[in-house]
Amino acid sequence: MSGTTGSRASGPWRSESSDSEYEHLTPLFVKLAAIEADDPRRVPLRDQLVTGHLPLAEHIATRFSHRGVPREDLVQVATVGLINAVDRFEPDRGSDFLSFAVPTIMGEVRRHFRDASWSMRVPRRLKELNLAISAASGELAQRLGRAPTPSEIAQHLDLSQEDVYEGLEAGNAYHSVSLDEALSADSDSDPLADTLGEEDAALEGVENHESLRPMIEQLPERERQILTLRFFMNMTQTQIAERVGISQMHVSRLLARTLQRLREGLMSEPAGHDVD
Amino acid sequence: MSEFLSGTEADTGTLGERDPDGIELRLAARLEHLPIIRSVAANLAIRADFDLDSIADLKLAVDEACSTLITRAADGATLSCRFLVRPNEIQFGAIVLSTSDQEPSRESFGWRVLSTLTDHADTWVEDGISPDGKGPVAHIELIKRKIAGG
Repeated sequence: MSGTTGSRASGPWRSESSDSEYEHLTPLFVKLAAIEADDPRRVPLRDQLVTGHLPLAEHIATRFSHRGVPREDLVQVATVGLINAVDRFEPDRGSDFLSFAVPTIMGEVRRHFRDASWSMRVPRRLKELNLAISAASGELAQRLGRAPTPSEIAQHLDLSQEDVYEGLEAGNAYHSVSLDEALSADSDSDPLADTLGEEDAALEGVENHESLRPMIEQLPERERQILTLRFFMNMTQTQIAERVGISQMHVSRLLARTLQRLREGLMSEPAGHDVD
Repeated sequence: MSEFLSGTEADTGTLGERDPDGIELRLAARLEHLPIIRSVAANLAIRADFDLDSIADLKLAVDEACSTLITRAADGATLSCRFLVRPNEIQFGAIVLSTSDQEPSRESFGWRVLSTLTDHADTWVEDGISPDGKGPVAHIELIKRKIAGG
């Protein structure tokens, strides 16, 4: 866990101003610690603490940007780290929240770099190409109201089509982003409860829904949301990306992994309600 | 349906050898080969200038279809996949010698995934000749159409 109370990391998030920026939140941790784990009154307090400290997560994400992972993905990961820090922080231990949260968030971001690393040696040029394409496709999608084609991206970036093909194919060498461990630790608050009704109704018509439902419920929140939006509400990946606030490529990787996980889950089910 | 994909009883073994533009992959029906088929699918869709959503959809759909066939494949069977790129669509067909003469369910979540991701999805089992000999051959075919550009 964190170092001693006195040791202060340097960096933009530890400046005088940012310390006082979060000072008003400190009493909330004491309040939160006093409430039982299953008490619904925790939810608004926890939300307030997470929201209040968001600039901290953003600062850390910015620190790690320009290293081959889109900033928006880093902000998401840093926010997961922040949520974990809020959940695990014990104010009576004597250290202040920032000394605890900064290493927790940085650890999460570092783990992301490790998990989201390129699975083979992809030349730097291709990584950068892939990133540029990801950013351009976000912009173009906004303008066009749909996902762009490789030739539209080539035109937009003033690159040859062959370059864009290469950059897109390089994306296939990218490991799926592993946020599982981090997100599955988060079990209480459920801002997605509103999509659950849709999911339930849609699942009714699907065989195996008794075994599928708990598997879907166990998915990390974001994966479940993306799955629901794609397969029960029929949104495109580009629409989902905009709604959830991550890149289309990230949505694509998360969906691929979620489907694989569900397939594996269903396969390990004892046979029974299937074909025979 | 195009002859390329469904073919006749006689040519199920070769998945419609009539069309010279088709691209065929034959591999052991094992899940660890999925990345190969997936990347061929993505590669073809990228080069056909499909939009990024459709490229990703096709990739996921091919993955799902092949997983479905692999899980029903007879021991040691070969999975045969064939792609055909048309000006406005990509057709995909796959067959495997199956352990069961029952076709993959259309009520499953997997089928919901396939039908959401593609413009056409079909599956059936027929007695035929696969690369692994005679028996029930399970088929899945998919069509993904271009929505933009082209």
